[in-house]
Amino acid sequence: MEIKTAVQDNVTIITPTGRVDTSTAKAFEDGVMSAVNSSNKIAIRFDEIDYISSAGLRVVLMAGKKLTSLKGILVLINMPEKIFSIFKMSGFDKILKICPSFEESKQFFN
Amino acid sequence: MLLKIKNNIEEMSRICDTVREFCVGNGIPDERYHDIILVLDEVVTNVINYAYQDEEEHEFSLYLDKDDQNVSIKLIDNGMAFNPLEQEDPDICSSIEERQIGGLGIFIVKQLAEVVEYSRIDEQNQLSIVIAVYDKKGER
Repeated sequence: MEIKTAVQDNVTIITPTGRVDTSTAKAFEDGVMSAVNSSNKIAIRFDEIDYISSAGLRVVLMAGKKLTSLKGILVLINMPEKIFSIFKMSGFDKILKICPSFEESKQFFN
Repeated sequence: MLLKIKNNIEEMSRICDTVREFCVGNGIPDERYHDIILVLDEVVTNVINYAYQDEEEHEFSLYLDKDDQNVSIKLIDNGMAFNPLEQEDPDICSSIEERQIGGLGIFIVKQLAEVVEYSRIDEQNQLSIVIAVYDKKGER
């Protein structure tokens, strides 16, 4: 797994690629949490991953909790249907913001 | 198909490659490959991380079969007795502040599978999972 980080319009965009599973969850956690520690506007892109297991979902939830407590904003963007269905069955669609694109996520950041 | 797996987390990438070949060879749609590999990740990772208490190398078995309707997965290990079906489901309706961080893995497996069965036979854990290949379950 590789994690790309970019800053656009004052929002840190994190893009993991490949498998987000137990073997890569630590790297994913390090990438996401270091972004959370330096910015309170975070977007995570999901269109370059093969799948996300519960180990990866755990990291997304941790980031969501941390940003909620810091009055920051986390938006999950570009999520393919197969990945969205896993977020939905986990109940994450009710507690996290999910948006089709970065463009549409700006309503939350502004 | 039988795959022998060592209790090393690095095994996941080999499993992904082998299961990808199995799915392509059997005409299983890409969407279903995603579900199968996710289910395998959850259950295989459980065995690798928790079944063996010593530092030794161990090997366990993964059987994969397909018929007209389903893919059947069977995981057999000789680690300590563990019935994942006894694990409590997470409360998926709680708020983000109250939401617990663990317990999602086997819950996702149960959601994606038609059948999940556990038995302890001859000091082995046997986990059988059936995933429908074509029919979508529920409202997914």
